[in-house]
Amino acid sequence: MGGLGEVIVQMLLVVVQVITLLVLAPFIVGLIRKVKARLQCRSGAGLLQPYADLVKLFGKQPVVSSTTSWIFPAAPYIVFASTMAAGLLMPVFVSHSPLNFAGNIIALVYLLALGTFFLILAGLDAGSSFGGMGSSREAIVATLAEPAMMLSILAIALTAGSTNLSTIVHQSASLEGGLLVPPPHLMALAALFIVTLAETGRVPVDNPATHLELTMIHEAMLLEYSGRYLALMEWAAGIKLVVFLTLIVNVFAPWGIATTLTPDALALGVAVYLVKVSTLAVVIGVIESMFAKLRLFRVPELLGAAFILSLLALVFFYTLRG
Amino acid sequence: MPLSTHLGSQLVDLCSVLLLLCCFAIVAQRRLSACVDLFALQSLFLAATAALVAFLTGHTHIYLAAVLTIVIKVVILPRILKRVIERLNVSRELVMNVNVPAGLLICGGLVIVAFFITQPIIPLGYLLTRDSLAIALAIIMIGFFTMIARMKAVTQMVGFLVMENGVFLGATAAAYGMPLIVELGVFFDVLVAGLIVGIYTHRLQDAFDSIDTSTLTVLKE
Repeated sequence: MGGLGEVIVQMLLVVVQVITLLVLAPFIVGLIRKVKARLQCRSGAGLLQPYADLVKLFGKQPVVSSTTSWIFPAAPYIVFASTMAAGLLMPVFVSHSPLNFAGNIIALVYLLALGTFFLILAGLDAGSSFGGMGSSREAIVATLAEPAMMLSILAIALTAGSTNLSTIVHQSASLEGGLLVPPPHLMALAALFIVTLAETGRVPVDNPATHLELTMIHEAMLLEYSGRYLALMEWAAGIKLVVFLTLIVNVFAPWGIATTLTPDALALGVAVYLVKVSTLAVVIGVIESMFAKLRLFRVPELLGAAFILSLLALVFFYTLRG
Repeated sequence: MPLSTHLGSQLVDLCSVLLLLCCFAIVAQRRLSACVDLFALQSLFLAATAALVAFLTGHTHIYLAAVLTIVIKVVILPRILKRVIERLNVSRELVMNVNVPAGLLICGGLVIVAFFITQPIIPLGYLLTRDSLAIALAIIMIGFFTMIARMKAVTQMVGFLVMENGVFLGATAAAYGMPLIVELGVFFDVLVAGLIVGIYTHRLQDAFDSIDTSTLTVLKE
């Protein structure tokens, strides 16, 4: 295969990977709901229900309050696009990505933060009291989660010697005896998992299934949205969840990811990826059933713990022989 | 052979880190019964570490210590503490000397201090467990901190037991475990201490209607 041909194949793979993320997102959301329903002895909606919801919402006409500015209709597109751009930087089932040069983990974190920022603005824009409340809460959570996320990712980046995501994944995937997780990674994994739950609005921090004014964070910001705007926002939230799950799965357990572009490796990579992400989604569903939502003022404690863990991951890197 | 030594060393490190994670969970936890459960989990990891060290080094007496750890610290002591909690009808620690986020930050600082202190010593060691020494010191300090930060007698007992776990890990890390007779003595001591605290907490509850140890300061002769 020539140099040009290989580049084209890789570019195609990037597109395929992003499409995988897009298509997978509603399924993962549905899977978590199904697991929760099963654990509560309900049969629950089908696994494909979120797809049906999205299709229905896309077909509806959006209603926009006359008091809103341009931010309100623009925010769904910005949130969706920034989340998808974050997905572009993510190695999904092939460990090296040709967009390696375009951005590293820090770019990924800030792309996601850009989405969060516009989500917060959109919540404030309509001027409803719930939206403002949700935005202020989201701002607290996002501010507290950011340092923990950065530190935990940096701890892993130090081990790999690069902040490029695909370099990190490629290195740990092709490592001899890659079955063994070095101790700093364990701390970073714990921290990143807590951050994932906080950033994607899962149970200990936010309850995605409720519309109770006192507790909701993510939902409160979306109350004013309808039609395709709401669909885009919901879809983007799903993609964000899948991006985080992919990050955890590929950085901490890159076993089986395709390191070469042979068809066998690719098939194995796709299969292993789907199994791993679904397993993680089931774990989240179980956690959501086991724990109650924390009071809002307890959330800083949880994220503080995540921050300390990620800090320790960094310290461990320098102390323990990797 | 060097690869398997390295692997073993990594595994021991991994188990020690799990012990430390349990410590942090205990510091962050307000529910007393969950604290006791976490202590039991930590002891289980400790037993796993000890068994691993025994397997890697061939010092068979450490197996005995691991079994004793499981029997006493995973089964008997948590049961005693749980019974105390049940009978006293206290479930939560509402007031603390240091609140949870500050406590976590302090513990993070303690870990860094422990690593800083052991930094010059560790490279001189030749045992495969030598890295655990830093973690053991950190666990001892966090256990001590828990005893200071918490007011309820039960959590102070958990802090003491966590300290004891740290000492055990330290002994395993520094010298592949203490002589058997010393270990037996230590286990007996811990068991007796658990029993005494169980009884002492009841007395405290009878006398003061609370198991807050700060009320002891009003005692007069």
